[in-house]
Formats: sequence, C-alpha cells, structure tokens
Amino acid sequence: MPRRIPNDWHPGVIPDNAHVHERALVETALCFESFRSEHARGLEVGEGSALYTGTMLDVGPRGRVRIGACCMLNRMRIVCDESVEIGDFSLISWSVVIMDTYRTAFDVESRRCALRHAAARADRRLGEPAPCRPVRIGRNVWIGFDSCILPGVTVGDGSIVGARSVVRDDVPPLSIVAGNPARVIRAIREEAGHA
Amino acid sequence: MTEPLPRGRWTHGELPASIRLGPGTLLSGDHALRRFRSGLADAVEVGSNTTLDGVHLALGESARLVIGDWCHLSSVMLLSEEEIRIGSYVAIGWNTAIADTDFHPIAPALRQADAIACSPIGAGRARPPAVSRPVVIADDVWIGPCTTILKGVHIGPGAVIEAGSLVTTHIPAGSHVMGNPARILDA
Repeated sequence: MPRRIPNDWHPGVIPDNAHVHERALVETALCFESFRSEHARGLEVGEGSALYTGTMLDVGPRGRVRIGACCMLNRMRIVCDESVEIGDFSLISWSVVIMDTYRTAFDVESRRCALRHAAARADRRLGEPAPCRPVRIGRNVWIGFDSCILPGVTVGDGSIVGARSVVRDDVPPLSIVAGNPARVIRAIREEAGHA
Repeated sequence: MTEPLPRGRWTHGELPASIRLGPGTLLSGDHALRRFRSGLADAVEVGSNTTLDGVHLALGESARLVIGDWCHLSSVMLLSEEEIRIGSYVAIGWNTAIADTDFHPIAPALRQADAIACSPIGAGRARPPAVSRPVVIADDVWIGPCTTILKGVHIGPGAVIEAGSLVTTHIPAGSHVMGNPARILDA
C-alpha cells in the first residue's frame, strides 16, 4: 500500500524501502524525486529526525542513506550511490551538499561518453556510475549553510563545519573547521558552556 | 532514411527569434527567460544535443551567449552584460553562477549613484557603467556544483573545477582546481 505523507502538496509516495521512524518527519515526498535506491533499506531515518521541504535525496540503485535520531536536515541535498551516514543530533543547514561520488570521470573521453548518453535519455539525466567513497557524518555535528562535503569524508563527533566550507579531508572530533578547502580553526572544549 | 533530430526547444513556450537552439537541444524551466533582456539579433546561440535544465539566461541589453554541442547545465545562472562563451562537452553542476560583469561600480560615489538609479524612486536614471569582461569556457570542462565563475575568466580545455570553487583567474587546460579563491591542486 503506497504511503502518502499527510497534507503533502506533492503527489509522490514514500518508497517501500524508505524506513522512516513513526516519530520522524519527512515534510514532503518531493525529497524522493531522484531516490532510486534498490537496497532493502535504501533510507533509514531515526526517531525525532526531520527532513524539511527542499531536502533532496539523490540516491542511485546501490545507494544507502542512514540518518540517526533527532537530526535536522534543512533544505540540503544528499548525492549517494553507495553510503552516506549521519549520526544522531546532527544539524545540516540549507543548501549543504553531501556527496559520496562525483558521478563523473576525471578523464575527458569518459565525460564525453556520459554527455552523449545524457542527451539521448528522455529525462536528460547526467550521471554515470563513478567511484564511490562513503561519507560518515558523526553524532552531534553541525554543518553550516552552503557547505559541501566531498566523497570519502568522515566528520568526527561534535564538530562544526563553518558556513560555505568545502570539506575534502576528514574532520577530527570536537573541532571547528572552515574555509575552502576547509581547515581546522580550533578545538571545541567539551565542557565549555560557550564556544 | 533516418529521422531528423528534433529542433531545439524550450519547455515553456515560444522562443524569441534571437535565441537559436540546435537539434536535440532542450531548454527547460519557466524561469529561463525571466531576466532575458538582450536586444541582439543573435543573442543566444546553442549547438546540438545540449541540455539546459533550469538555466537562467539573465542577459542584459547587449549581451550574447554562445554554447556548443553536447553540454549539460543544471540549475545554472548565466549573468551577462557582454558575452559568455561555452564550448562543447561542458558539464556544469547545479547552483553555479557565471557572471561576466561586476554588476555595480567599485568607486563609492558611482556606487551610490547606482543605488539611486536601481531603486524604485530612481526609475529612468542612467546607471553608471560597471566593469564587464567576457567569460570563456573551453571544451570538455567539468564544473562541479555550487561554483562561481567571475568576470573575465578563461577556463582551458579539459579543466576540472571542484564543487564550491570561486574562480577569479584564468585556469590552464587540464588543471584541477579547488577553493575560494580557486587554486590549482597539486597532482
């Protein structure tokens, strides 16, 4: 029985392989517009998490997205052809892109082939299978608006990514990183009442 | 006898005569021409089999846009007062902005005059000139999502521009760049 989201303006349904906790919120089925996972648990959303309108899950057939409890995903985009994990209590701000693949080759000939294929498709989708490097966002991570998390990155528990950063290297736990490319600015003291 | 390729088309209506799309090219999105103001007879020329999906053609009165064949642009803002030229086999990721102009003057007095001219109460006043310089992107360039390409930039063939980059200088052919400002990455 296809599941529709109550009061959804969008006509879509929640895919059968999307396991959303009954106390989690997915505001609109628009987020599944490019969700093509064939994995039995293609999407998992933990208790108390929310995917607000504008959040887009662009997931390929082998992709698997796991979102923990009490996460806030605010108009952000996940590109996943293998694995993207987000730990509990994480805050992902607007227009953030988290990607486990570039969906393109780094050699010119392969890119030309991909562009020819795209033009021949009815939906004009561009995106060929490309090497994937899973992304792991830890627990209690805050990612500032407009940031990009590139393939293969692990962000340690408790860390903060400043707005408009591009993260290509792992982020240690309890750190603040910022910039493009992102660099550690300073450590966060666990017991501090203020930063 | 093979079927002729479909003519290039816009999904949201009739194209002005000054916009020419080659066979198999698709321009989609109802915002595409919302800020299109070019008065040139050959304002926009796009080759064949190119996909312009959610692209904004924000062209000023004397602006020109040329795009080659087999390109794929997704949610890209093309902001031009002079000329943007894109080759063939170019892929540009979503949320990218390409601007060939500063939009506003640098000098404070001129900038203030521009603020007045742009305001609802300044209608009809001539705007002071802003600097513009054409942007040229060669064949086989890959530009990742969320990038910004500023005025006067020439990107050489085969270059790869990482997501989130802001490009202000010429990029040599075959380079791999990243950052704000964009810098060439060591191999």
